[in-house]
Amino acid sequence: MDLPLIPKGVERCSLKTFAPWMFLWLLIMAWGLVSAFLCLYKGLNQTNMNHYFAFGLWIVFDLSVIALGAGAFFTGFLTHIIGKDELKAIINPAVVIGFICYSAAIATLGIDIGQPIRGWFIFWHANIHSMLTEVSFCITAYLGVLTIEYLPLILSNRKLNEVPEFNIFGNNLHHIVALFAAAGTFLSFFHQGSLGGMYGVLFARPFAFREGFLIWPWTFFLFILSSIAAGPSFTLLCVWITQKVTGKELVKRSVFNTLAKISGWLLASYIILKIIDTISWAYGVVPRAGLSFMDFYKGSYGIWLIIAEIGIFGIIPAIILITPKYRERNHLLIIGALMNITGIVLNRFVFTVQTLAIPVMPFDKFMGYLPTWQEWGIMMGAIGYGILLFSLSYRYLPLFPQEPEINPVKVFGHIITDSGVIRRS
Amino acid sequence: MEFNRRNFIKFAVGGTGGILLSPLPWKLIDDIAIWTQNWSWVPVPVRGKFSYLNSVCTLCPGACGIQVRKVGSRAVKIEGRGDYPVNQGGICPLGMAGLQILYNEGIRWKAPMKRVGPRGSQEWKEIPWDEAIDELATRIKGLREKGSPEKLAAIDGNQSRSTMALLIKRLLSSIGSPNYMVMPREEDTYDMVNFLMQGSRGPIAFDLENADFIVSFGCSLFDGWGAPGRMLSASREWVKNKTYLVQIDPRTSNTASKADLWLAPFPGTEAALALGMAHVIIKEKLYSKEFIENHTFGFADWFEEDGVKHKGFSRIVLEKYSPQVVENITGIKGRVIIEVARKFASAHAPIALAGRGKGTLPGSLYEFMAVHALNALKGRVNKKGGPLIADDIPLAQWSDPEYDPVAMDGLKKARVDLAKTPRYPFSRSLVNKFTETINNSHGSPIDTLMLFSANPAFTIPDSQSFIKAMAKIPFIVSFSPFMDETSLMADLILPDHTHLEKMADIVWPTGIQYPLYALSQPVVKPIYRTEHSGDVIISLAKRIGGPVSGSFQWANFEEALKERVKGLYDSGREKVSWADIKENGYWSIPAHSFEGGSDIFQTPSKRFEFFSTEIELAIKAYSKGKSFDDALLDLGISSKGDEVYMPHYEEIKSGADKKEYPLLLFPMELINLASGWIGNPPYLNKTLFDHQLKRDDLFVEVNPKTASQYRLKEGSKAIIRSPKGELRVRIHLFHGAMPDVIFIPFGLGHTAYDKYLKGKGVNPNEIIDQVEDPLSGQPVWWNTRVKLIRI
Amino acid sequence: MKKEDTTKGNRYGMVIDLDKCTGCGVCLIACASENNIPVMYDESDKTRNITWLQIYMVTNGKEFPETEVIYIPRPCMQCDNPPCVPVCPATATDKDPTSGIISQIYTRCIGCRYCMAACPYHARVFNWFDPWFPEGMDRYLSPEVSPRMRGVVEKCSFCHHRLMRAKAKANVEGRRDLKEDEYIPACVEACPTKAITFGDLNNPKHKISELIKSPHAFRLLERLNTEPKVYYISTKNWVRRMADNYLSGEFKDRS
Repeated sequence: MDLPLIPKGVERCSLKTFAPWMFLWLLIMAWGLVSAFLCLYKGLNQTNMNHYFAFGLWIVFDLSVIALGAGAFFTGFLTHIIGKDELKAIINPAVVIGFICYSAAIATLGIDIGQPIRGWFIFWHANIHSMLTEVSFCITAYLGVLTIEYLPLILSNRKLNEVPEFNIFGNNLHHIVALFAAAGTFLSFFHQGSLGGMYGVLFARPFAFREGFLIWPWTFFLFILSSIAAGPSFTLLCVWITQKVTGKELVKRSVFNTLAKISGWLLASYIILKIIDTISWAYGVVPRAGLSFMDFYKGSYGIWLIIAEIGIFGIIPAIILITPKYRERNHLLIIGALMNITGIVLNRFVFTVQTLAIPVMPFDKFMGYLPTWQEWGIMMGAIGYGILLFSLSYRYLPLFPQEPEINPVKVFGHIITDSGVIRRS
Repeated sequence: MEFNRRNFIKFAVGGTGGILLSPLPWKLIDDIAIWTQNWSWVPVPVRGKFSYLNSVCTLCPGACGIQVRKVGSRAVKIEGRGDYPVNQGGICPLGMAGLQILYNEGIRWKAPMKRVGPRGSQEWKEIPWDEAIDELATRIKGLREKGSPEKLAAIDGNQSRSTMALLIKRLLSSIGSPNYMVMPREEDTYDMVNFLMQGSRGPIAFDLENADFIVSFGCSLFDGWGAPGRMLSASREWVKNKTYLVQIDPRTSNTASKADLWLAPFPGTEAALALGMAHVIIKEKLYSKEFIENHTFGFADWFEEDGVKHKGFSRIVLEKYSPQVVENITGIKGRVIIEVARKFASAHAPIALAGRGKGTLPGSLYEFMAVHALNALKGRVNKKGGPLIADDIPLAQWSDPEYDPVAMDGLKKARVDLAKTPRYPFSRSLVNKFTETINNSHGSPIDTLMLFSANPAFTIPDSQSFIKAMAKIPFIVSFSPFMDETSLMADLILPDHTHLEKMADIVWPTGIQYPLYALSQPVVKPIYRTEHSGDVIISLAKRIGGPVSGSFQWANFEEALKERVKGLYDSGREKVSWADIKENGYWSIPAHSFEGGSDIFQTPSKRFEFFSTEIELAIKAYSKGKSFDDALLDLGISSKGDEVYMPHYEEIKSGADKKEYPLLLFPMELINLASGWIGNPPYLNKTLFDHQLKRDDLFVEVNPKTASQYRLKEGSKAIIRSPKGELRVRIHLFHGAMPDVIFIPFGLGHTAYDKYLKGKGVNPNEIIDQVEDPLSGQPVWWNTRVKLIRI
Repeated sequence: MKKEDTTKGNRYGMVIDLDKCTGCGVCLIACASENNIPVMYDESDKTRNITWLQIYMVTNGKEFPETEVIYIPRPCMQCDNPPCVPVCPATATDKDPTSGIISQIYTRCIGCRYCMAACPYHARVFNWFDPWFPEGMDRYLSPEVSPRMRGVVEKCSFCHHRLMRAKAKANVEGRRDLKEDEYIPACVEACPTKAITFGDLNNPKHKISELIKSPHAFRLLERLNTEPKVYYISTKNWVRRMADNYLSGEFKDRS
């Protein structure tokens, strides 16, 4: 039924198979919409956030997806600016994933703030000293860039491409894509860094605070590094999952290798810097605040967290991904990428929730926090939206340029290359 | 220009861009952002002219001066009056939250109500005031016609000397009922101590600001005892003057923490501790010889005219209360007792205070006497910085009420609460015995019960028994402005104004060291169809008619009050007028007249009596026709000999078995939790910690050692069971709590009031297993044996 | 970070004498009724209810009968170096250079709560619920302070409207400076033990300037360089030790 929309030279499952798949994610999105309605209509009392946990699950989710969405700008940077042509095979999915991550993050933020109607006050009454202002400006601008990068892809849909204006517009955009890649890189460097700065500048929260050189440029680069280490891994993982779900090879194995290698080396350098950062924090900020290292690892947020973050989900995936022997094995590659992502998500969790959980006043109480179903709903809804959009993009847009080459469509034993869609006569 | 698709797109894009670059959309969105938030449920305070009105807070007998800020006709804020002698600017949390009492629609009766459904069904019918007063008048007339006016009873929570209390009392006696009762309070015990040892009735005042060494035997001085505003103001004087404070308390209360020394004897052994101190003072001859020799009776051994030898107070104390003995009784080290006694004796102006908690509940008579004996040993009575015998406030006396034969017959009948009978000769009223009599009778000896400014169904220890008794009383009339537990069980509601809507007086606020008459004025016009209970009484008396009407010659309450107040400016001691008093909110003589000499003691011996002649007379009278030992047993006194007439230590008995109920339940009063007849306003809930109340769960304080015996952790749920019932609570581990004692706050566990109060926590009064205090018959409310059950 | 000059203008501050404070809660209630603070059904949820001034109960941790209890009333610290102000993306909070008071514009706050994450004193609270006043109680609302809507952050303002009131009065009388007792917040005025002293830290004649010189004066979390303008006084070492984090051996007794 939707055959005219499906790109040339590729095969897609029947609508009967596709529809239930879509329905599943629509259902999850509905959960998100109900949660969003409750949070907007009744207020944020629908969450389990409180005066102590001013930030909760949503901010962890936002920070995580923004880090994971870094695959988009970084792949763009490598492809269009450094000229790593091999990555052209995944630049499209990377852009789509980036768009999904950023739009999901902004939507979640829209629910997260107590006065969504006034969200734009950040721009109207901007406080240039605030890291959040910087982050908001960059994220919004970058989402614009992503939209522009996504647009030619959408316009290359077979049906849309038939409209001459779209065709011309799309083609023109294609020519200046390097410019946007550069803009995206610039904006991303800023906001990934300032996202780290958001916590690093909280000088009255010794757990998050970094001083002098350790805040600028150290923390900024830690966050940039960690995001560009996790981004490619996430892109890799998404593509790999798409391959598993569709049962088709969509990009060449060598592309995965390249992504893993980049991810691994970046992760390795990040972990080294992170360890230096942690040590200098433990011997600098911490004793100056009159605290000892172990004061921060009490209650349910124990020392296991830092061991997990840096050791298990930091050093191990770095080793897996930088060792050619390991990353060439499929299961190790995937485990490595997954662990890498977990480590970075854990890092974002630690900076948000643990920072707030640790009482600073000696007579203050340690608080715990568990999200409500509404909070999970918003997050799951955002994930559902992501999968939905990615599935649609995969089905109707030429996402993987290598796909027709790797999976030639055969009709009666003949390979149909560039001649169009098979019609039953 | 050709209008084609291309141009249209150009136009649209260009136009959109142009508009976006102009400030117009931003301005519009800004407006929308503001406009969409004109939420109807966010209240907008009405503007108006600011004004300030002085008045007096009459929520408790402390009578603190308040200044109310008004906007238009609304009161918006209560502040303490800095120029008011009692509190000098400070007021307590409850007084501060007074507007939440006035304006809380959810807790107030808005008009006279008549019960239409069965009792407790809360089906009410609003009726006109005329009809309401007529109904009560008819009922009382009926009782008088049947010749049984004594079947009318009243329980009054107003301050004993206030015009309101006098008016209610007058109403009952002119009708012919002796059954006028006041809610039990610490003042009752002090009144008896004053009478037995010093020979005058009325309260004892304490010149705390001028004392330099204070031993408080359990008074929560900073937790609401006395006039809270005054006590908190006094505390800053103490810090300045380096006044030494010894606090005796089984728990680290706020007062204990602020004290220079905190002693924690076993609850109920305070008398022994006081006498242990007395032992040291007597043994080391540190007492005031001048005062003991010239102004006391019963200190040394003496012979009666017929040659009978009596042991003196000094001998008994020396024999029976050595530090070692007292250490065994109280758990306080002997050397500490000696040290405190010496410090007390060597101080320039020491004072000893007896009491427990806020002083809203009575204490033990012998214990109070023992503590007061310390003041006498140092000759501190009526001295600067000591306990004072209240000077008279020259209020004019009303003419005596008229009594007709019905009234005179009625007044001769015995009181239902047995107070002032030979069995309980010294107590003014005993609501606990009232309850007991009704519960033990077939039918009810009371036909109509009137309640004023009181909520006994909630505040009386062993409240369940009181509720049972209420169920037996055929007709109950409540004058409460609030939908409290007691008024919800009434048949007729004649709602009074709240404290901010009416004129009321307090004569000599609790514990103040100089004569003061406080007068409150209406701050706002009554907001509902309520009437001043004083006016209602006068109009009720007029409708009852006959001599009752003749005893209430005034047009309204204000007239009656003015007639009393006239005495103040007629006395000539202060040149003031009615207008001055109304304006200032008080009349006062700035300082107590420290008139010394023996004429201050009105006892039979005309001296301060360590040996109370009045007790001797009373016990003699009571033991007529029975053996002396039986008489003592009846009176609940376990000691023998001369000690019976003197301050001594009586072990408080408990009906419950110590093995079965190994722990003690000690109710405590918090300054930021209203536990009297006024329900706790929501703002006070803000001040409670989440280890005191969490959601609807009340926490009790338990020492970690005791808790661990029951495997209870912080926040564990548990049941406290006494022979009277059980309460579900949660545990707060507190090192400051004495082991084996459970501390539970009074004031929560309401079954009435609004949803901000109802159902939060539990009410310890429900399971208090009270025993009678020897001789006085007052309830001992802090000695309930309980067990703790983990759930 | 650049340190700004705090010697100019007025710098209103507070000294709370913890030896005098009995934890009665009047300051909290005075604050609530002065500033139209709403009430919830469940005020025991201290992580969600609204109070500008929170009272902490702290014990010395010793066993019976050596236990001691003190109370720490905690208004907004009105830091000279506020961690909350620079983080606000919408400039909804600012330090007033003429008074040193940290303002909060409720109608501009977008409710991102970044300032709450920044403040280690929990001085800022968020309106998780619609403001609520039990039936009839909206009749005591003061027109001097606007009730806040759901979804915004609010905090102690040192009763800024009282400063405005005092200034207006001084203006009418042709004075430029306020007298020492002319402007005091509701909590200070209400404290029955007079444990709280209020004044201009830049005015050496004000009592507060003398009080903060006491060896027993301290501030909460001084080591974090927030420079609070709310000081505390306690002669008890364990109380002063409780006010900040110390490594073993760092704290010096000053009895």
